[in-house]
Amino acid sequence: MFLRKSIIATSGLFLCLFLIVHLSANFILLLPEEVAREAYNGYSTTLRESPVIKVVAYALYASIFFHVLYGIIVTYKNRKAKPHRYVVNRSQENSTWTSQNMGLIGMFILLFIVVHLANFWARVKLGIGAPVGLDSAGNVDVYEVTYSLFQNIYFVLFYTLLMIPLGWHLDHGLKSAFKTLGFYHKKGLAVVSKISLIYATIMSVGFGIIPLVVYFK
Amino acid sequence: MKVTFQIWRQDGPTDKGRLKDYEVDGLTEDMSFLEALDHLNELLVLKNEKVIAYEYDCREGICGQCGIFINGRAHGPHANMTTCQLHMRSFNDGDTIVVEPWRAQAFPVVKDLIVDRSALDRIIEQGGYISAKTGTAPEANSIPIGKDVADKAMDAAACIGCGACVATCKNASAALFTSAKINHLNSLPQGKPEQHRRVLEMTKQMAYEGFGHCTFTGACEVECPEGISIVNIAELNARILKARLLG
Ligand code: SF4
Ligand code: FES
Repeated sequence: MFLRKSIIATSGLFLCLFLIVHLSANFILLLPEEVAREAYNGYSTTLRESPVIKVVAYALYASIFFHVLYGIIVTYKNRKAKPHRYVVNRSQENSTWTSQNMGLIGMFILLFIVVHLANFWARVKLGIGAPVGLDSAGNVDVYEVTYSLFQNIYFVLFYTLLMIPLGWHLDHGLKSAFKTLGFYHKKGLAVVSKISLIYATIMSVGFGIIPLVVYFK
Repeated sequence: MKVTFQIWRQDGPTDKGRLKDYEVDGLTEDMSFLEALDHLNELLVLKNEKVIAYEYDCREGICGQCGIFINGRAHGPHANMTTCQLHMRSFNDGDTIVVEPWRAQAFPVVKDLIVDRSALDRIIEQGGYISAKTGTAPEANSIPIGKDVADKAMDAAACIGCGACVATCKNASAALFTSAKINHLNSLPQGKPEQHRRVLEMTKQMAYEGFGHCTFTGACEVECPEGISIVNIAELNARILKARLLG
């Protein structure tokens, strides 16, 4: 039990760190077109060619895989532990909706990741779909991939709206991970809880506004 | 005062069970919830119908026997309260009150509102005791214990084993109960000799009984009549980590 939850918590924390780096880089997209294209393509080329990033990338795939795998196992076992539901259950009076539905929310995020990887990773790294050109500096034009994607209002809405469940998931997940891994300082946990909310809000709003800004650029 | 009870009736563990409506008149606001059920049972006796089975013992909030799920909440609409401490004044005239037994794989229904909570006892059997010879009560100051430690141990020791934490938890996790029992003994010098074994054995039994994993919804600490804090579960996790590493 403890092991399963620790795997979810550790992989989740790693993914939280990754999101910070990811969002910081994405803020480049908010800059004016001329600067943004070069900076963004340069940055992503550096990443793609760095051996360190290669290791990090594998850690990332593993984290997503185990987070989802153990998330499913734990959800399945927890459902088995509660085979009969109450006819009336006012769980909203003793806990948040988010904390009661992390599995469901997680499924939306997984859907997002699949679509997101298909849009970027599959095109840039696997070469599936329309070929990606080079920019004037000779770097793969990832900026163009992003830019053209966010000319499509449906993708903009998809990318923006799905950042809401992401925020919920991060808020509950981050503070729970600390408790799962045995951090039990009472005042410290109150601080962790605040940090989780702030972190989740920044991630959710941060990732969520970028497609909108690019669309209206 | 008149209310409609919708009460879970189930003849035995294998019966399917169903909610049944009972309109009950002649209640007063000062009646406890259990007295209202007593009243209903008397009416059923007069009508030669089978009485409703439910558990209680002390009726003063200390034994933990009276667990019932009332209108979607463990022990009724208030936080941190046992069913026996709930009064009819918490409801309105004409209300419909849905009454169900605790739900968990590890708590099979025995009859109507009574569930078998012996799974909790079996967790205790795996280490909820100390092996030191106690004899007659020792002199209080022979083992000095700091007030903060004593307070913490006492807070955890307050758990009355009612099972509300399991009942309200969407995962039917017994983590709040188990952590309270373990932290109570492990934080005191008397509990130190077998501290790691206690952690490992009791949590192993908890999994074996079919309780779910804690996902920190926090519902348990709201419904716990003793106000056992969920921080206990985080502390238990630290103890599990330590016990695994140190044996
Ligand atoms: S921890 Fe609280 S809710 Fe759970 S069994 Fe003990 S007293 Fe009841
Ligand atoms: S009957 Fe003893 S706690 Fe309610």
